[in-house]
Amino acid sequence: MLVRGAGAGGPSSPELVGRLRWVVLVLLFVFGALIVRLWQLQILRGDSYFQLTVQNVVKERYLPSIRGKILDRHGVPLAENRPAFNIYAVPRTFSPDLASELRHLLGLSDEEMAKVKERIAAGGKRAPKLPVIILEDQPRERAARVEQERFRLPDIEVHHEPYRYYPQGALAAHLVGYMSQMTPEELRRLAGSGYTGDELVGRYGLEAMWENYLRGKKGKERYAVDANGHRLDEATAAGLIEGERQTDPVAGYNLVLTLDVELQKIAERAVAPYPAAAVAVIDVETGRILALVSKPAFDPNVMTGHLTKAEEKFLEDDPRKPFIDKTVRAQYPPGSIYKFVTTLAALEDGVAQEDEKIDCKGSIVRSGTTFHCTAAHGPLDLSQALQHSCNVYFWTLSERVGLDRMAQVANEYGFGARTGLGLNGDSPGRVPTKTWYEQRTRFKIGYTINSATGQGDVEVTVLQMAMAYTALANGGTLFVPQVVDRVVRADGASVISYQPQVQRQIQIPPEHLAILKRGLWRVVNEPGGTAYPYATSDIVSITGKTGTAEVKAKRSKKEIQEIRGWHPSGTHAWFAGWAPSDHPEVAVVVLIEHGGTGGKVAGPVAKQILEGWWTKVRPHNLPPAPPPTLMNRVFGDLLRPITPAIQPPAPPTDDQEPDSEELEESAEPVPPEPEDEP
Amino acid sequence: MSLVVAILAVALIFGLRIYVRMARDDIGLPRQHIGMSRWRRFRASVDWVLVAILIAICALGLLNLYSAVHGTKHAGKFAQQVKFMLVGTGAFALATAIDYRALLRLAWLGLGLAVIALLIVDLVGRGAKGSERWVYVGAVGGQPSEIAKLAVILVLTKLIQDTSGGAKMSWKALVPRVVALVIPVLLIALQPDLGNATLLTLIMLTIGFLALRDLWPMVYTLFAMFLAIPILWETMHDYQKSRILAFLDPSADPNGTGWHTRQSIAAVGSGKILGKGFMHGTQNQFQFLPEHWTDFPFSVWAEEWGFVGSLLLLSMFAFLLVWILNVALRSRDHAGSLLCLGVAAMTFWHVVINVAMVLGMAPVVGVTLPFISYGGSSLVCFFVAMGLVSSVSLRRHGY
Repeated sequence: MLVRGAGAGGPSSPELVGRLRWVVLVLLFVFGALIVRLWQLQILRGDSYFQLTVQNVVKERYLPSIRGKILDRHGVPLAENRPAFNIYAVPRTFSPDLASELRHLLGLSDEEMAKVKERIAAGGKRAPKLPVIILEDQPRERAARVEQERFRLPDIEVHHEPYRYYPQGALAAHLVGYMSQMTPEELRRLAGSGYTGDELVGRYGLEAMWENYLRGKKGKERYAVDANGHRLDEATAAGLIEGERQTDPVAGYNLVLTLDVELQKIAERAVAPYPAAAVAVIDVETGRILALVSKPAFDPNVMTGHLTKAEEKFLEDDPRKPFIDKTVRAQYPPGSIYKFVTTLAALEDGVAQEDEKIDCKGSIVRSGTTFHCTAAHGPLDLSQALQHSCNVYFWTLSERVGLDRMAQVANEYGFGARTGLGLNGDSPGRVPTKTWYEQRTRFKIGYTINSATGQGDVEVTVLQMAMAYTALANGGTLFVPQVVDRVVRADGASVISYQPQVQRQIQIPPEHLAILKRGLWRVVNEPGGTAYPYATSDIVSITGKTGTAEVKAKRSKKEIQEIRGWHPSGTHAWFAGWAPSDHPEVAVVVLIEHGGTGGKVAGPVAKQILEGWWTKVRPHNLPPAPPPTLMNRVFGDLLRPITPAIQPPAPPTDDQEPDSEELEESAEPVPPEPEDEP
Repeated sequence: MSLVVAILAVALIFGLRIYVRMARDDIGLPRQHIGMSRWRRFRASVDWVLVAILIAICALGLLNLYSAVHGTKHAGKFAQQVKFMLVGTGAFALATAIDYRALLRLAWLGLGLAVIALLIVDLVGRGAKGSERWVYVGAVGGQPSEIAKLAVILVLTKLIQDTSGGAKMSWKALVPRVVALVIPVLLIALQPDLGNATLLTLIMLTIGFLALRDLWPMVYTLFAMFLAIPILWETMHDYQKSRILAFLDPSADPNGTGWHTRQSIAAVGSGKILGKGFMHGTQNQFQFLPEHWTDFPFSVWAEEWGFVGSLLLLSMFAFLLVWILNVALRSRDHAGSLLCLGVAAMTFWHVVINVAMVLGMAPVVGVTLPFISYGGSSLVCFFVAMGLVSSVSLRRHGY
């Protein structure tokens, strides 16, 4: 029976009275359990839960530092910062729904979407609660759209932050470099040095080399949010966050270079017609780099965060290898510009005389191989041989001095060793010796002959050659090339100032140097010289040597992109020299990769650069004029002595038509006055 | 705040005065009170302890709700809750005034109405989160599952009363009645509202355990129910399954179903001993607990008032329960006692399930915390339930 009639019991509930004990026990037990649980949560673990709830509302965000600028010697910026919109997301809350929402909202491409996902994944591994940049340098419309739809996009934030900008575009791109996203391996390696992993780091050139000076120190912001990720107001945040709410970022140091942007522009304009080239212009007195061109280049503004896969592939497939710095990294056979080594070795050993004539019959035969000269020059003395770049003459000299002695002199001038610039993986080049050949196969006299004219296994970099010619021009001081003049703080205070550094003082008898210089002057300035009239200037006297380096046909017949004026089997055109001839101020080396003959192709480029330097760049770098005297102040312009900053150009010769640009420049300045001529 | 409490108190007293006038003839006072003033008779017969504890709990509830919705787009819920409380106070007065024995005669009718309402909800109702719990009559909406609880308590009381006291009921008559009691449970479970279905079952079982003479039939029934659990599991919705699974292992899916539990536990724990202070709970103020005014008010309370405050609130509920049991024991008839037992069971399970859920000891279900949670249906139902207790208490003396 389910229910039986109540036999006994009071008026109310006999069953209840009977089971009251159980009721009390259950009540005690259940409420006791709840209280024990409360005790456990609130008293035993209270502090950790309190921290947890603080973490719920208090978020941290890194404040990017302002990266140091890269400035030329006059303060013209090569790399600076501009404001940009960066979009951040928190990996933890970045759901697939949110991703598709964002994609739809901003119209992101597949590639951008892939990048976003990659960054979210990387950020999620590091610190899933900290916002990471998912899209940098976004257009204003996208930023506005995200701001408008914020309530639908939890934890997506737009920040207006400094972004790297290269106002000169591709100018001196290899030197300045570019920046790109840090890789996870780099972050592991640099963990603890203030990187968060989602920032751009210097990847190439000075940006990479001086990263630690340029980057500054990140700040940190702590702010409060509600459960939807919306920022709480300042007063609320102040009440919730203990301690510092914001650590200001520290700006990076600025680099002031020795580079002259104007000269750099002149040099890049000069090589503009050629598909691949390299130029180095060095201050002869200090070894400072004034211009450094490597062509083809890239636009660092594109490389820094905006490179699409297609563009990257295009650049990587270019047979001219745009990512290899042709001034310090690539090694080339120098050709005849290397002949100064042979000359000096022979003069020092006393096996050559300036007036000794050697008859060039157009070729010589050694151990069964015929070596051809550029022409049958007939009997030439040393400076004529330099002037005509007669191979036979230097082959003969090389046989007298030997390979090792030439290598010794070459090493003295910095060949076969790194220049010490330390940029873009500079190469040591190669100066072969007898031992070097013996280690590989065996030594043959032909190797000596090849080396004498900078062929065979001799390889140099453009900057090495520029430093060597600098040493020739200044009488034997081999400098360590210098490109950073000083490091300054953002407020302008100097941090480090670098002095020119001498690598080696070469003991070179003045008379030997004079012989060499006479020969090189004739190359440019006397009819019959290999650079005459290509590099002959009426504006500034140029001395130099041409080189036409043959390349080994080592390339496979793989499909090579056709480029006009550039073929992998063409000769390299070189010109190395300095100006002015008598009191050298700058040394220049021009290489036109696979460009043809040195005098005809590289000569005019060098001339254009040096003339540009003389007329447009040098005047700005002269010491300032003395302060005006009292007479000047009173009579002003009437009394001012006319001291032309530049040498007034001589009237153009008939056979050469100066550039229209140069005419404009030279038409303006002071009328020539004979008595003021220096 | 004090203003609200004052209004509430005035309303309560006003309401009580009305019902006293209405029910004057019905009140049987002990002989020694005859001849006393009406006011003194009134004071002596009303269960002031019950009223006081209810006022105290309601005050805490309003305080908590104010903190929970202040400054959000739900701020209007506070005024709404005050209105519900006024309505509830009226309902309390009415339930006190009407003789519960008269109400028992309408028990089956009440259950019938509740079942119809539940059927309407199941068939055409609308609700949030994929389950239907609301029914609308004009602009006034309500949750029939709350009414069903009251109806079931009344019916059970009547059933047990009818079968006790020597009167035997034939199997033919008994079985349909028991089955009729299971119908609302099934209908609520079909909504689907597993929490309230379980709750209703627990209420019935509790009444049974405390009031039935012979417990063995119930033990058999329970055993059968345990066997039915796997079948129930199969018929459950995915979200229900995932909630139960999330309860079993909250860390398995931190942002999914277990998230509410984790945030609730964190909120409670972060209150520490004395709490973060009124309106200073960050979990509450910055909406880390969705809809904390209905299902998680206790976490808001525990965060802002700490262990001390939580203990206070639990003690008040414990005292309320003890007092209802006290009324049950002092009731003048079996029916009154059973009625109080039913109300006590309903209150007990609501409090325990809700608080256990907040503390991560039970799965997340939509079970309210009496007088603290926001919501008209639940509030008014509890006021009516307490009114029944008050009614029993009022009539405890004499025949």
